[in-house]
Amino acid sequence: MAGRAQIPTRNSALIAMIADEDTVTGFLLAGVGNVDVRRKTNYLIVDNKTTVKQIEDTFKEFTNREDVAIVLISQYVTNMIRFLVDSYNKPIPAILEIPSKDHPYDPAHDSVLSRVKYLFSTESVASDRR
Amino acid sequence: MAEIESDQLQRASSLEETKVKNEYEEENECILQFLDSLDAYLTLVDSLSSSLREGWFDLASARQSMGHTRVSSKLFDHKVHSASTTVKITELDADNLSGTKPQFSLSKWATTQENPSSEAPNHSNLRHRVPTGLSEDGEKSNGTEISNVVSNDIQKERSKSLTTFGGLVSPKLRTAQVSFETALDKIAEIANARSSMLSSFSQLQLNKKSSS
Repeated sequence: MAGRAQIPTRNSALIAMIADEDTVTGFLLAGVGNVDVRRKTNYLIVDNKTTVKQIEDTFKEFTNREDVAIVLISQYVTNMIRFLVDSYNKPIPAILEIPSKDHPYDPAHDSVLSRVKYLFSTESVASDRR
Repeated sequence: MAEIESDQLQRASSLEETKVKNEYEEENECILQFLDSLDAYLTLVDSLSSSLREGWFDLASARQSMGHTRVSSKLFDHKVHSASTTVKITELDADNLSGTKPQFSLSKWATTQENPSSEAPNHSNLRHRVPTGLSEDGEKSNGTEISNVVSNDIQKERSKSLTTFGGLVSPKLRTAQVSFETALDKIAEIANARSSMLSSFSQLQLNKKSSS
Protein backbone atom coordinates (compact mmCIF):
# COMPACT_ATOMS: atom_id res chain seq x y z
CA MET A 1 0.00 0.00 0.00
CA ALA A 2 1.64 3.19 -1.17
CA GLY A 3 1.98 6.43 0.80
CA ARG A 4 1.28 5.26 4.37
CA ALA A 5 1.24 8.37 6.51
CA GLN A 6 4.11 8.49 8.98
CA ILE A 7 3.35 9.79 12.45
CA PRO A 8 6.44 11.45 13.89
CA THR A 9 7.25 10.65 17.52
CA ARG A 10 6.82 13.77 19.61
CA ASN A 11 8.02 14.14 23.16
CA SER A 12 6.23 17.18 24.46
CA ALA A 13 3.25 18.03 22.40
CA LEU A 14 0.49 20.28 23.63
CA ILE A 15 -3.15 19.83 24.50
CA ALA A 16 -5.18 22.58 22.82
CA MET A 17 -8.64 23.57 24.05
CA ILE A 18 -11.71 25.22 22.57
CA ALA A 19 -14.18 25.38 25.43
CA ASP A 20 -16.03 27.54 27.92
CA GLU A 21 -14.24 29.61 30.56
CA ASP A 22 -14.59 27.16 33.44
CA THR A 23 -13.30 24.20 31.45
CA VAL A 24 -10.30 26.16 30.17
CA THR A 25 -9.61 27.53 33.68
CA GLY A 26 -9.63 24.04 35.13
CA PHE A 27 -7.28 22.61 32.53
CA LEU A 28 -4.95 25.59 32.88
CA LEU A 29 -4.83 24.83 36.61
CA ALA A 30 -3.72 21.33 35.63
CA GLY A 31 -0.76 22.84 33.77
CA VAL A 32 -1.64 22.58 30.07
CA GLY A 33 -1.50 26.30 29.30
CA ASN A 34 1.15 27.40 26.82
CA VAL A 35 2.03 30.82 25.40
CA ASP A 36 4.62 30.81 22.63
CA VAL A 37 7.01 33.60 21.59
CA ARG A 38 4.38 34.98 19.22
CA ARG A 39 2.04 35.29 22.21
CA LYS A 40 -0.21 32.62 20.74
CA THR A 41 -2.03 30.51 23.28
CA ASN A 42 -3.15 26.90 22.98
CA TYR A 43 -6.70 27.68 24.04
CA LEU A 44 -9.77 29.62 22.97
CA ILE A 45 -12.44 30.58 25.50
CA VAL A 46 -15.84 30.43 23.86
CA ASP A 47 -18.52 32.74 25.22
CA ASN A 48 -21.63 34.37 23.81
CA LYS A 49 -19.50 36.97 21.96
CA THR A 50 -17.36 34.39 20.15
CA THR A 51 -18.26 34.09 16.49
CA VAL A 52 -18.44 30.87 14.50
CA LYS A 53 -15.71 32.22 12.20
CA GLN A 54 -13.35 32.64 15.18
CA ILE A 55 -14.04 29.07 16.28
CA GLU A 56 -13.47 27.75 12.75
CA ASP A 57 -10.21 29.67 12.36
CA THR A 58 -8.96 28.50 15.76
CA PHE A 59 -9.87 24.89 14.97
CA LYS A 60 -8.00 25.07 11.66
CA GLU A 61 -5.02 26.69 13.37
CA PHE A 62 -4.82 24.05 16.12
CA THR A 63 -5.21 21.13 13.71
CA ASN A 64 -2.43 22.49 11.50
CA ARG A 65 0.05 23.08 14.31
CA GLU A 66 2.90 20.56 14.53
CA ASP A 67 3.19 20.89 18.30
CA VAL A 68 -0.42 19.98 19.19
CA ALA A 69 -1.24 16.34 20.03
CA ILE A 70 -4.83 16.58 21.27
CA VAL A 71 -7.53 19.17 20.67
CA LEU A 72 -10.24 19.23 23.32
CA ILE A 73 -13.42 20.83 22.12
CA SER A 74 -16.70 21.13 24.00
CA GLN A 75 -19.38 19.21 22.19
CA TYR A 76 -21.78 22.20 21.99
CA VAL A 77 -18.96 24.16 20.28
CA THR A 78 -18.31 21.25 17.93
CA ASN A 79 -21.96 21.35 16.91
CA MET A 80 -21.38 24.92 15.65
CA ILE A 81 -18.60 23.71 13.32
CA ARG A 82 -19.83 20.13 12.85
CA PHE A 83 -19.11 20.01 9.14
CA LEU A 84 -15.49 21.01 9.67
CA VAL A 85 -14.94 18.51 12.50
CA ASP A 86 -16.62 15.64 10.65
CA SER A 87 -14.47 16.21 7.60
CA TYR A 88 -11.29 16.09 9.68
CA ASN A 89 -9.68 12.67 9.37
CA LYS A 90 -6.03 12.97 10.43
CA PRO A 91 -4.79 10.76 13.30
CA ILE A 92 -2.92 13.65 14.93
CA PRO A 93 -3.90 15.85 16.53
CA ALA A 94 -6.69 13.74 18.02
CA ILE A 95 -9.97 15.65 18.28
CA LEU A 96 -11.85 14.80 21.46
CA GLU A 97 -15.35 16.09 22.11
CA ILE A 98 -15.92 16.76 25.78
CA PRO A 99 -19.02 17.74 27.74
CA SER A 100 -19.52 21.20 29.12
CA LYS A 101 -21.29 22.41 32.26
CA ASP A 102 -24.55 23.21 30.52
CA HIS A 103 -24.42 20.61 27.74
CA PRO A 104 -23.85 16.98 28.73
CA TYR A 105 -22.06 14.63 26.33
CA ASP A 106 -24.27 13.08 23.68
CA PRO A 107 -22.74 10.02 21.96
CA ALA A 108 -25.17 10.42 19.06
CA HIS A 109 -23.37 13.61 18.02
CA ASP A 110 -19.78 12.44 18.54
CA SER A 111 -18.00 12.59 15.17
CA VAL A 112 -15.86 9.49 15.82
CA LEU A 113 -18.87 7.41 16.82
CA SER A 114 -20.84 8.70 13.83
CA ARG A 115 -18.03 7.54 11.59
CA VAL A 116 -17.97 4.03 13.00
CA LYS A 117 -21.68 3.48 13.58
CA TYR A 118 -21.95 2.72 9.88
CA LEU A 119 -20.72 -0.75 10.83
CA PHE A 120 -23.91 -1.30 12.77
CA SER A 121 -26.37 0.36 10.44
CA THR A 122 -29.05 -1.79 8.78
CA GLU A 123 -28.11 -0.34 5.40
CA SER A 124 -24.62 -1.84 5.53
CA VAL A 125 -26.05 -5.21 6.62
CA ALA A 126 -28.66 -5.15 3.89
CA SER A 127 -26.11 -4.28 1.20
CA ASP A 128 -23.97 -7.26 2.25
CA ARG A 129 -26.90 -9.60 1.81
CA ARG A 130 -27.64 -8.51 -1.72
CA MET B 1 -2.79 -41.25 -11.92
CA ALA B 2 -6.40 -40.56 -10.97
CA GLU B 3 -5.49 -41.17 -7.32
CA ILE B 4 -2.64 -38.65 -7.47
CA GLU B 5 -4.95 -36.07 -9.00
CA SER B 6 -7.62 -36.62 -6.37
CA ASP B 7 -4.96 -36.35 -3.61
CA GLN B 8 -3.79 -33.04 -5.06
CA LEU B 9 -7.37 -31.77 -5.24
CA GLN B 10 -7.99 -32.78 -1.64
CA ARG B 11 -4.82 -31.02 -0.46
CA ALA B 12 -5.71 -27.88 -2.38
CA SER B 13 -9.21 -27.81 -0.93
CA SER B 14 -7.99 -28.34 2.66
CA LEU B 15 -5.43 -25.53 2.17
CA GLU B 16 -8.21 -23.33 0.89
CA GLU B 17 -10.37 -24.20 3.92
CA THR B 18 -7.53 -23.40 6.31
CA LYS B 19 -6.95 -20.09 4.58
CA VAL B 20 -10.64 -19.14 4.83
CA LYS B 21 -10.73 -20.24 8.48
CA ASN B 22 -7.67 -18.08 9.28
CA GLU B 23 -9.26 -15.10 7.55
CA TYR B 24 -12.45 -15.53 9.59
CA GLU B 25 -10.45 -15.75 12.80
CA GLU B 26 -8.48 -12.60 11.95
CA GLU B 27 -11.66 -10.76 11.13
CA ASN B 28 -13.29 -11.91 14.38
CA GLU B 29 -10.26 -10.76 16.31
CA CYS B 30 -10.43 -7.38 14.59
CA ILE B 31 -14.15 -7.07 15.37
CA LEU B 32 -13.52 -7.93 19.02
CA GLN B 33 -10.72 -5.37 19.21
CA PHE B 34 -13.01 -2.75 17.68
CA LEU B 35 -15.85 -3.53 20.12
CA ASP B 36 -13.46 -3.51 23.10
CA SER B 37 -12.04 -0.13 22.16
CA LEU B 38 -15.55 1.25 21.52
CA ASP B 39 -16.66 0.06 24.97
CA ALA B 40 -13.51 1.54 26.57
CA TYR B 41 -14.11 4.85 24.75
CA LEU B 42 -17.71 5.17 26.00
CA THR B 43 -16.82 4.13 29.55
CA LEU B 44 -13.92 6.57 29.70
CA VAL B 45 -16.00 9.46 28.35
CA ASP B 46 -18.56 8.78 31.06
CA SER B 47 -15.82 8.74 33.68
CA LEU B 48 -14.39 11.96 32.23
CA SER B 49 -17.80 13.64 32.54
CA SER B 50 -17.84 12.70 36.19
CA SER B 51 -14.34 14.14 36.86
CA LEU B 52 -15.21 17.32 34.99
CA ARG B 53 -18.41 17.76 36.99
CA GLU B 54 -16.44 17.53 40.23
CA GLY B 55 -13.92 20.03 38.89
CA TRP B 56 -16.62 22.53 37.82
CA PHE B 57 -18.34 22.22 41.17
CA ASP B 58 -15.09 22.84 43.09
CA LEU B 59 -14.28 25.75 40.80
CA ALA B 60 -17.70 27.28 41.48
CA SER B 61 -17.16 26.83 45.23
CA ALA B 62 -13.74 28.46 44.98
CA ARG B 63 -15.24 31.33 43.02
CA GLN B 64 -17.89 31.79 45.67
CA SER B 65 -15.38 31.89 48.54
CA MET B 66 -12.66 33.91 46.78
CA GLY B 67 -14.88 36.22 44.77
CA HIS B 68 -15.74 36.23 41.09
CA THR B 69 -12.93 38.61 40.11
CA ARG B 70 -10.27 36.42 41.69
CA VAL B 71 -11.14 33.29 39.70
CA SER B 72 -11.50 34.66 36.22
CA SER B 73 -9.94 34.31 32.78
CA LYS B 74 -8.75 37.94 33.06
CA LEU B 75 -6.03 36.72 35.44
CA PHE B 76 -4.55 34.19 32.99
CA ASP B 77 -0.84 34.50 32.44
CA HIS B 78 -0.17 35.87 28.94
CA LYS B 79 3.60 35.98 29.34
CA VAL B 80 5.59 33.50 27.30
CA HIS B 81 5.67 30.16 29.11
CA SER B 82 5.65 26.46 28.26
CA ALA B 83 3.04 23.97 29.30
CA SER B 84 3.98 21.92 32.37
CA THR B 85 1.74 19.06 31.33
CA THR B 86 2.33 17.72 27.84
CA VAL B 87 1.67 14.63 25.77
CA LYS B 88 4.14 12.20 24.28
CA ILE B 89 3.14 10.55 21.02
CA THR B 90 4.69 7.30 19.93
CA GLU B 91 3.86 5.46 16.77
CA LEU B 92 2.76 1.86 17.04
CA ASP B 93 2.88 -0.18 13.88
CA ALA B 94 -0.57 -1.59 13.50
CA ASP B 95 0.16 -5.02 12.02
CA ASN B 96 -2.14 -4.46 9.13
CA LEU B 97 -2.42 -2.28 6.09
CA SER B 98 -4.68 0.28 7.72
CA GLY B 99 -1.74 2.39 8.84
CA THR B 100 0.00 3.26 12.06
CA LYS B 101 -1.65 3.77 15.40
CA PRO B 102 -0.49 6.70 17.52
CA GLN B 103 -0.17 6.10 21.25
CA PHE B 104 -0.57 9.05 23.64
CA SER B 105 0.96 9.26 27.09
CA LEU B 106 0.71 12.13 29.51
CA SER B 107 3.70 13.80 31.10
CA LYS B 108 2.50 15.80 34.10
CA TRP B 109 4.19 18.70 35.78
CA ALA B 110 7.51 18.65 33.96
CA THR B 111 9.78 21.02 35.88
CA THR B 112 11.56 23.87 34.16
CA GLN B 113 14.87 22.62 35.60
CA GLU B 114 14.43 19.05 34.41
CA ASN B 115 17.37 17.11 32.96
CA PRO B 116 16.94 14.87 29.97
CA SER B 117 16.26 11.44 31.39
CA SER B 118 16.26 7.93 30.09
CA GLU B 119 12.59 7.17 29.83
CA ALA B 120 11.55 3.56 29.92
CA PRO B 121 8.89 3.04 27.28
CA ASN B 122 5.61 2.20 28.86
CA HIS B 123 1.97 2.66 28.07
CA SER B 124 0.84 3.91 31.48
CA ASN B 125 -0.80 7.27 31.26
CA LEU B 126 0.96 8.84 34.21
CA ARG B 127 4.62 9.55 33.75
CA HIS B 128 6.92 11.68 35.83
CA ARG B 129 10.24 12.91 34.59
CA VAL B 130 13.08 11.71 36.76
CA PRO B 131 16.46 13.46 36.91
CA THR B 132 19.46 11.60 35.45
CA GLY B 133 21.67 9.78 37.87
CA LEU B 134 19.14 7.18 38.85
CA SER B 135 20.87 3.92 37.96
CA GLU B 136 18.97 0.96 36.65
CA ASP B 137 19.65 -1.02 39.85
CA GLY B 138 18.67 1.98 42.05
CA GLU B 139 20.02 2.04 45.56
CA LYS B 140 16.99 2.39 47.83
CA SER B 141 18.13 5.49 49.70
CA ASN B 142 19.02 7.28 46.43
CA GLY B 143 15.68 6.22 44.99
CA THR B 144 13.78 7.63 47.97
CA GLU B 145 15.70 10.91 47.87
CA ILE B 146 15.12 11.31 44.16
CA SER B 147 11.42 10.54 44.46
CA ASN B 148 11.19 13.15 47.24
CA VAL B 149 12.92 15.68 44.99
CA VAL B 150 10.53 14.80 42.16
CA SER B 151 7.42 15.15 44.32
CA ASN B 152 8.69 18.48 45.71
CA ASP B 153 9.25 19.71 42.16
CA ILE B 154 5.76 18.60 41.20
CA GLN B 155 4.28 20.40 44.22
CA LYS B 156 6.18 23.55 43.23
CA GLU B 157 4.76 23.37 39.70
CA ARG B 158 1.25 22.85 41.08
CA SER B 159 1.61 25.84 43.41
CA LYS B 160 2.98 27.95 40.57
CA SER B 161 -0.15 27.15 38.59
CA LEU B 162 -2.36 28.16 41.53
CA THR B 163 -0.55 31.47 42.08
CA THR B 164 -2.17 32.74 38.86
CA PHE B 165 -5.16 33.37 41.11
CA GLY B 166 -3.28 34.95 44.00
CA GLY B 167 -1.05 33.97 46.87
CA LEU B 168 -3.75 32.56 49.14
CA VAL B 169 -6.27 30.41 47.36
CA SER B 170 -9.28 28.51 48.53
CA PRO B 171 -8.76 24.77 49.25
CA LYS B 172 -11.57 24.20 46.75
CA LEU B 173 -9.32 25.55 44.01
CA ARG B 174 -6.72 22.93 44.93
CA THR B 175 -9.30 20.14 44.78
CA ALA B 176 -10.50 21.51 41.44
CA GLN B 177 -6.91 21.28 40.22
CA VAL B 178 -6.75 17.61 41.28
CA SER B 179 -10.07 16.86 39.54
CA PHE B 180 -8.86 18.38 36.29
CA GLU B 181 -5.57 16.49 36.57
CA THR B 182 -7.60 13.26 36.88
CA ALA B 183 -9.62 14.38 33.87
CA LEU B 184 -6.36 14.78 31.91
CA ASP B 185 -5.37 11.18 32.69
CA LYS B 186 -8.70 10.04 31.30
CA ILE B 187 -8.29 12.22 28.24
CA ALA B 188 -5.01 10.47 27.38
CA GLU B 189 -6.74 7.09 27.74
CA ILE B 190 -9.67 8.27 25.60
CA ALA B 191 -7.22 9.37 22.90
CA ASN B 192 -5.67 5.87 22.93
CA ALA B 193 -9.07 4.16 22.82
CA ARG B 194 -10.07 6.41 19.91
CA SER B 195 -6.86 5.58 18.06
CA SER B 196 -7.39 1.83 18.60
CA MET B 197 -11.03 2.06 17.53
CA LEU B 198 -10.24 3.95 14.32
CA SER B 199 -7.39 1.58 13.50
CA SER B 200 -9.52 -1.56 13.85
CA PHE B 201 -12.40 0.15 12.01
CA SER B 202 -10.08 0.88 9.08
CA GLN B 203 -8.92 -2.74 9.10
CA LEU B 204 -12.51 -3.99 9.02
CA GLN B 205 -13.29 -1.70 6.10
CA LEU B 206 -10.26 -2.98 4.21
CA ASN B 207 -11.26 -6.60 4.87
CA LYS B 208 -14.75 -5.86 3.61
CA LYS B 209 -13.44 -4.27 0.42
CA SER B 210 -11.06 -7.13 -0.27
CA SER B 211 -13.74 -9.77 0.28
CA SER B 212 -16.38 -8.07 -1.91
